[in-house]
Parts: sequence; C-alpha cells; structure tokens
Amino acid sequence: MTALLSVEGVGADHGGLRVLHAVSLAVAAGEAVALLGANGAGKSTLLRSILGLHPAAAGRVLFDGADLSGMRADRRVRLGLGYVPEGRRVFPGMSVRDNLEVASRQGRAGRRDDLERVFALFPQLRQKAAERAWRLSGGQQQMLAIGRALMGRPRLLLLDEPSLGLSPLLAGEVYAAVRAVADAGTAVLLADQSAARALAATSRVVLLALGRVVHEGPSGALPAGALHDAFLGDAHAAG
Amino acid sequence: MTLLQLLVNGVALGAAYALVALGFVLVLNATAAVNFAQGDLVMAGGLLAAALAPHLPVPGILLLPAVMAVMAGLGLAVCAAAYLPLRHRPPVSVFISTIAVGIILQNGATLLSGPEPKSAPPLFGGGTLEIGGLVVAEQSAAIVVVAALLIGAQQWVFARTQFGRRLRATAQDPEMARACGIPVTAMVLATFAIGTACAGAAGLLLANQFFVTPTSGGDLILKAYIAVTLGGWGSVPGAVAGALVIALFEVVVSAVLSYPVALAALYATLLAVLVVRPQGLFGEAARRRA
Repeated sequence: MTALLSVEGVGADHGGLRVLHAVSLAVAAGEAVALLGANGAGKSTLLRSILGLHPAAAGRVLFDGADLSGMRADRRVRLGLGYVPEGRRVFPGMSVRDNLEVASRQGRAGRRDDLERVFALFPQLRQKAAERAWRLSGGQQQMLAIGRALMGRPRLLLLDEPSLGLSPLLAGEVYAAVRAVADAGTAVLLADQSAARALAATSRVVLLALGRVVHEGPSGALPAGALHDAFLGDAHAAG
Repeated sequence: MTLLQLLVNGVALGAAYALVALGFVLVLNATAAVNFAQGDLVMAGGLLAAALAPHLPVPGILLLPAVMAVMAGLGLAVCAAAYLPLRHRPPVSVFISTIAVGIILQNGATLLSGPEPKSAPPLFGGGTLEIGGLVVAEQSAAIVVVAALLIGAQQWVFARTQFGRRLRATAQDPEMARACGIPVTAMVLATFAIGTACAGAAGLLLANQFFVTPTSGGDLILKAYIAVTLGGWGSVPGAVAGALVIALFEVVVSAVLSYPVALAALYATLLAVLVVRPQGLFGEAARRRA
C-alpha cells in the first residue's frame, strides 16, 4: 500500500535533550493508526513535528510524496494535514460557528457544506453554534476541535489525546466520531494513552517508548506484554 | 445646553482618540507586542494630510482614503522592519524597536516638514450645524460620523468576513491559527496595516482641530495606553470606551474645572478603576484570552 504519510528517521529535541530518536512510521491513505505510549514517550512531539510546529532535528517527513522539510505548518495543512491538539485549543473568544468556519479554505457555498457535514457528525455543535467556545464543556470543545480540523478537508487527521480529561461517556462519543471520520476515508494518526479505545478505533498500532518506536503491527494482534513494556518499560529499566 | 455642547465636543475628540487606541489594541492582540510608535504614526498621518492638502485642494474626506492607504503601507514597513525580525525574541526587543521607529518618525518628520505646527483640512467644511438648538461644529459632527463608520466597518470585517475570522484567530492563538492553515505572518502584516491606517485616519481628524507637530505623538501614545488600560488590556470595545472617557475628562471636566484638575481627576479615576477592576472596564474578554 502506498504511504500517504512517511516519517523517516525523525529526531526532535526539547530543551537541549533528544526526545525523539530516529522515529519512522507510515500511514496509508484511508488508514487509521494508533500511536500509543506513556506520558512523555514523545507522541505529542512527533505529531507536532509532522505538522511543522516543532522543528525536526533529524530525518524528514513526506506527505503524498512531497518532502515537508522546512515547510511552515500552515502550508502543510493546506496540503491536506489536519490537527487536533492536546488540550483542544479552540479559539475561546470566537463563536462555535466562527471556530469552524475559520479553518475552511472553501468559498461561501463550500464552507456551508463543510459546516453541515460537521454539524451532522456533532449535532451538539449545531445547537451551540452561536455560543462562545469558552462556554462549552470539555467534551463539546473536543468535538469542536475535531470539527475545526475537518473543516480543512484533511486527507490525514492527526489527533493528540482526544479523550484526555473526558468522562467515559463523552470519550466514547468522541471515539465514535473518530471512527466515522476514518470510515469515511480520512486517514487518522491517533496518539493516546487510552490504549483500549485507540486500538478499537484503528487497524494498526505503533508503540512509542522514550522517543523510540518499540513495536508496530495490527491493532488487533498486539503481542502480549508489548503494551505493558511500552508503558512501563522505563520503570522496569529504572528498577 | 452648554454641557450638551461640551459633551458633543468630547465625543468628537473621543472618537478620534478611539481610532488611535483601536490601532494600538489591534496590534497588541495580534502580536502581544506594545507598539510604542502608534502615537508617532498618528502624527505622521496628520503631517501627511497637511503635506498633501496644498497639492490636492479637496475636502479632508477625499484625502482620508489616500492618507489611510499610504499609512497602511507604512504599517507594513514597520511590521517588516521592527516586528517580524524580532518576534521570537523577548517582548522587550519589540518595545525597543517600536520606540526606535517612533524616534525615527519624529526626526524624519522634523527633517521633512520642519518643527512648525501644521494643520490638515476639515473633513467637509469649517461651518456649524444647528441640531435641536445645539450648535455643533461641522468638523466635530463629521469626526464622530467618520470615526463611527471606520470603527463600524472594521468591526463588520472582523465579525462577518473570513479575513476577519482569520485575524481574530491569529490574535487569540497564533500557533493554533497556523495549525488551521492560516498564513499567520500575512495576518500580522495585515493587522499592522489596518492599525496604522487607523492611526493615519486619527492623524487627519486630529490635525484639523489641533495643530500637529513632529513631537505630538508622545502625548497620543500615552492616551492610547491609558485608554487600553482603562478599558481592559486587549479589549476592542474597552479601547473605544477608554478613549471616550479620556476625551470627556479633557473637554467636559476641564471646561467645568480646569485642565490640570481634569488631568489629575482622569489619573485618579484610572487608579480607582484599576483598584476596583484590575482587568479594566471591559477586561473579562482579555482575561479569558490569557
């Protein structure tokens, strides 16, 4: 299968320390991939490096065959990347509708169609369309952040901890939406600590530990102990 | 009736100050940088209008678009020279660079037009209007109408257009705006252009009622700073309200008491507001953004 996204030997630093070590992975068009690892494993840094928000110290990122090295994040997004950040980061003083519309690059008619598509996926947002985003609950803000990314008609959606801080019920709603997005043909790279939900929503998994890929394979056939080692490997090493 | 006329004059002055403060707060929101050159940009707009007037003997209202266009271009240059190269440095770097721009503008204006006070043409005419028994200077009425139209148009662009949404998103979270595909650098340039065009419009409006000299800017940046602090750091309605409060003190209170007393009362009011509402009159939105 041809890769839509290829991450080739990407390294990244934080405060002078290397936090990603020659990470390589690929996501095919329409594929949903889970990126799992403990807090501090480098998941968020990897997603930010793919988008161009965090400078890669080594390696390169290819999207649909184009080398993204040195390209600004806004240009990468215009090529077809969408990003849902950890902590949602909706534009708090703007209405729900404006939060969505601002991410569209279509004309008025196209924007309206995209808005309808997002409202169909998240009916709660339609009811709150005129509300300022800061008034929404955490779950609604997460829906808004996903909807905002979808307004750009991405071919690959990068999701960072979409269930963080949500109740199980709301996390279930968010994951149902993620599955719907993936089923509709948008590729997904999903970083999360909530392994069970992420594995259920994806077809392939990449395990990250201390900035290194330690396992890659089908989500449904994760070797026994792989997850445990990825999450607790550093504790074992320390012990 | 006298009090009403003073109020009208105060609102007219406040409308012009509001344009100064608006330009200041737009740049502040988009970049988190304090543009200390804003007062000198107002001065430059006033002197530009005064310089153009002999060559283009038309009412000020026809000069206004030309002044705003030239000033928008100057805003782009200020952004490119004094903000963009320093945007990843500590905020004090931009403070200093905009102070430097202000000093360059002051000295450039002195070299080009001399230190003598200059005056810009009135927007329409120098006569008076009688509205319900009130005698209002045409210029005062025109300032209120033109400033209200400019502020209203700007609010419409910000609230109703995709360009305005992108400017607001950039102001609220530049990194996330970039992650939504918004060309943030272009938006920051546009904000400087709009803010400086506002300064140019204010310069033209003020340079008819008050003479403009190359050193007029210092007083204006102080007023813009006070207006934004009083209204709520980063709040656009707050900046307009703060500008109106300053002008009402300068016109109404100074006519009833005296100018020094009015200034003292203004600063006492500012202190009282900051004690009671440290976030300023309209500070809630600004606090949320932070």
